[in-house]
Amino acid sequence: MRDPTFWILARASGLTAYALLTLSVLAGLVVKSKPFGPAVKQAAATDLHRFLALLGLGAIALHGTALVLDSTVKISPAALVVPGLSPYRPLWTALGVLAAELMVLVYLSFALRRRIGGRNWRRLHWATYAIFALATAHGLLSGTDSRQAWAGWLYVGALGAVVTATAWRALSTPAARTARLPQPSPRPATQTANTGGS
Amino acid sequence: MSTYRITIDRSVCSGFGSCADLAPQAFAVGADGIATALVVETDDPAVLDAAASCPMAAITVEEVGKQEAA
Repeated sequence: MRDPTFWILARASGLTAYALLTLSVLAGLVVKSKPFGPAVKQAAATDLHRFLALLGLGAIALHGTALVLDSTVKISPAALVVPGLSPYRPLWTALGVLAAELMVLVYLSFALRRRIGGRNWRRLHWATYAIFALATAHGLLSGTDSRQAWAGWLYVGALGAVVTATAWRALSTPAARTARLPQPSPRPATQTANTGGS
Repeated sequence: MSTYRITIDRSVCSGFGSCADLAPQAFAVGADGIATALVVETDDPAVLDAAASCPMAAITVEEVGKQEAA
């Protein structure tokens, strides 16, 4: 009898990766639109956002490894990086490969943002919406659990949360951002932050 | 104790506010949603963390040594 361990692991890690991606996107939107005001520290929210993305990438790595090790569907290591090589639902698995590759790119771009420039980093970050859409389509259309009611609720919940948070972001961006105020003069250069001075 | 000189590229800053969280004595996000430096120089090494945390890489912190600015 075929051992289903890797097949179960592949499905569970795929769903886990999707949940972590969703949470990372939501944390990123919290960083951007600050819906909780000063109650949530920006630096902490940014750390959480990046940590969830890293955990998500770990789950994706596990998802791919389990799929290669499993014998239910024949997936080669090359199929993990080249979209369309999977014999199982090639189009829908290709979306997952693309989403994972884009996610790696966006994750690494944070460390490279000084080299590529803040504006280019932010432009690249718009790809996150494409990653979420690709991952949703990939999960729904190639996931074997998609017909289960609980999986349906997972996708509905994730989509609903991300669409709602994105709408909040779009509506909450202050118009004042477009008209930057002149920079107020800093205090004299001799002043230091510590009251005791240097 | 080192002294650090702060520069913010306000054309790049997107107002995330991590800097003001990590070094509130040196950074604040203004009414326009853009960060400003409250001091030009400081001896507080927290500004290094603040610069490193900026998602837009808009903050530059230079170590200018021990000497007092003129």
